[in-house]
Amino acid sequence: MVELLGQGLADILHWKYLVPLFFGTLAGVVGGALPGVTITLTIIVVLPFTFGLDPLQGLAAMTGVYVGGSAGGLITACLLGIPGTPSAIATTFDGFPMSRKGEPGRAVWLGTWASFFGGLLGGAFLILVTGPLAAIALEFGPWEYFSLFVLAMAMVAGLAESSMTKGLVSTAIGLLVTVIGTDPIMGVPRFTFGTDFIAAGFPFLPVLIGIFAFAQIMTDIEKMGAPKPAGAAAVAAPSLKVAHLKVIAEIMSRPVLLLWSTIVGIVIGVLPAIGGSAANMLAYDQAKKFSKRPKKFGTGIPEGIVASESSNNANVGGSLVTIMAFGIPGDAVTAVMLGAMTIHGIQSGPLFVSQHPKLAYGIYAAYILAHFLMVAIIWLSALFLLRITRVRLAVLAPVVMVLCVVGAYALNNTMQGVYVLLLFGVIGYALVKAGFPLAPLILGLILGDQIEINLVRSIMTDDNPWLFVTRPISGGLLLAAAVSVVLAVWQHRRHRAKAPAAAEGPDF
Amino acid sequence: MALGRDGIAGLVLLALSLALLVQSLSLPQVPLVPVGPGFYPRLVLGFLAITSAALVVQDVLARRAGAAAVRWALHRLVAATFAIVAAYCFLLPYLGYRLATPLFVAGLQAALEPPRGAREWAWLAAVALGATAVTYLSFETYLLVLLPRGTWTGW
Repeated sequence: MVELLGQGLADILHWKYLVPLFFGTLAGVVGGALPGVTITLTIIVVLPFTFGLDPLQGLAAMTGVYVGGSAGGLITACLLGIPGTPSAIATTFDGFPMSRKGEPGRAVWLGTWASFFGGLLGGAFLILVTGPLAAIALEFGPWEYFSLFVLAMAMVAGLAESSMTKGLVSTAIGLLVTVIGTDPIMGVPRFTFGTDFIAAGFPFLPVLIGIFAFAQIMTDIEKMGAPKPAGAAAVAAPSLKVAHLKVIAEIMSRPVLLLWSTIVGIVIGVLPAIGGSAANMLAYDQAKKFSKRPKKFGTGIPEGIVASESSNNANVGGSLVTIMAFGIPGDAVTAVMLGAMTIHGIQSGPLFVSQHPKLAYGIYAAYILAHFLMVAIIWLSALFLLRITRVRLAVLAPVVMVLCVVGAYALNNTMQGVYVLLLFGVIGYALVKAGFPLAPLILGLILGDQIEINLVRSIMTDDNPWLFVTRPISGGLLLAAAVSVVLAVWQHRRHRAKAPAAAEGPDF
Repeated sequence: MALGRDGIAGLVLLALSLALLVQSLSLPQVPLVPVGPGFYPRLVLGFLAITSAALVVQDVLARRAGAAAVRWALHRLVAATFAIVAAYCFLLPYLGYRLATPLFVAGLQAALEPPRGAREWAWLAAVALGATAVTYLSFETYLLVLLPRGTWTGW
């Protein structure tokens, strides 16, 4: 393993891979710092640039976006009081007050170094656990895979903030999209209505780009017409000069906090389609609960920043474990990465590490190096980035949309992808406006084909349906799915009882 | 009984799932195979129908009809953006990337924030031409992605 990792690091340090990794990380930091631009949107924008690259170059760039984006959000969170990404929301709680107290450099660098250490700990987990988990996944038959996918969808639907029913409906819509087109087992056309346009089904990436990018951009455009809230004033002309060793010592003097927040981030990352936005909030909440001075949280104390930032970068490592060991995306960003792998003819899943060790260890190496690049980029350009974040949406939105169209077109060099992009852009925005969460839909979309293949395979192998329950792993996974649904229903009821009139926001 | 936003969405999805369920009955059954191509879609559509119906029932029970007032003024800009993007997508194969893209970028910028004065118009044109040039050169020259040529313009 050490030898392979060394080889991976040597590969990635070659300019051929280092350049895409650098630009990916830079794009991630910039995208993460831009309020209203999520990491998902950034990776969607970067995606078409990877089509002409070799698989490792493309995946290195995407890994860079993911790592850079997870940290980039902290810059605006600390200096403007606006989280650049949802995964930096909790950073704002203490980062901005600390900056306003005259310590913007301390706030930004506590966040940056916490991201660095949290991310590297997440990387250690990624490298050590992916192989053994993939070995366990190799023991899975179609029953276990089916049950695992059911568990993933049950968890994600249950986590929908608005309502559990809407989460389930959203999952069903995602699954429905995958049944349109040729059936994967026997090649019979389904629901194509005699048109060639969808004879092969809807291509995955234009659907994903349409749903996410349009829902995001259109929601931002809506806000352009709305009156601006009277927010807190940004920190004027901040200086980010700081004694780095002192900041690092400040983080290291809280080893339990760092480790626990990292574990929270990793666990949330491993669970499918939850993502950094939940990780940073949960880690912050945990840090507050276990703290000796919980009342100080929100006033600008380092614990809040360390908890939030270490967890959101560790979350990246956890998400990569799920995609590399099981072939299930941990969130929308890894869903795009999965799509990019498919374009390059690479099948992700339990055999990925053993069949493509150069690629797998290359991703590990890119992940590790991206953290060093991320620190260097923030060190060199944090204040410049702050200026970039003031780019107006009127300029940004058309350029992002052009890149989405190019990405959809370049998949097969046909206009079909572009029309699918537009169609699902409208559907995605309509669903967001109707209050449906998008994460369950995306997961249904990603897993739909695999669910069908494994369900049909299991029935063809043995038509006894009880095998789903009586096979120990499969039964355990289904039981976990049932428990997660019951827990979600209970939590929703409790939440509703506490805050019956809570306002609903878009739930990406 | 007036339905709210969730109830209407639930009804639309329920109707869609039932229509497709009927359509799925015409899918062929393959001999010697325990489940045919219609088996899984029927499961998914059944799931969608049940959850959509639950959404309608929840909405009726919650009596939240008319609670969410839509602020149409905010959606005018979104509707205009969708119209401009749709026009771009449909004109792209006729005008070609090099002509359609600067028109789209300029048009959408102008719709989102109408320029005031020569300086803002110049900035708008620079962004439109710059974005087109950078993407065109990046994709065609370095990434070898052939972008659409216009059937009307040959450009």
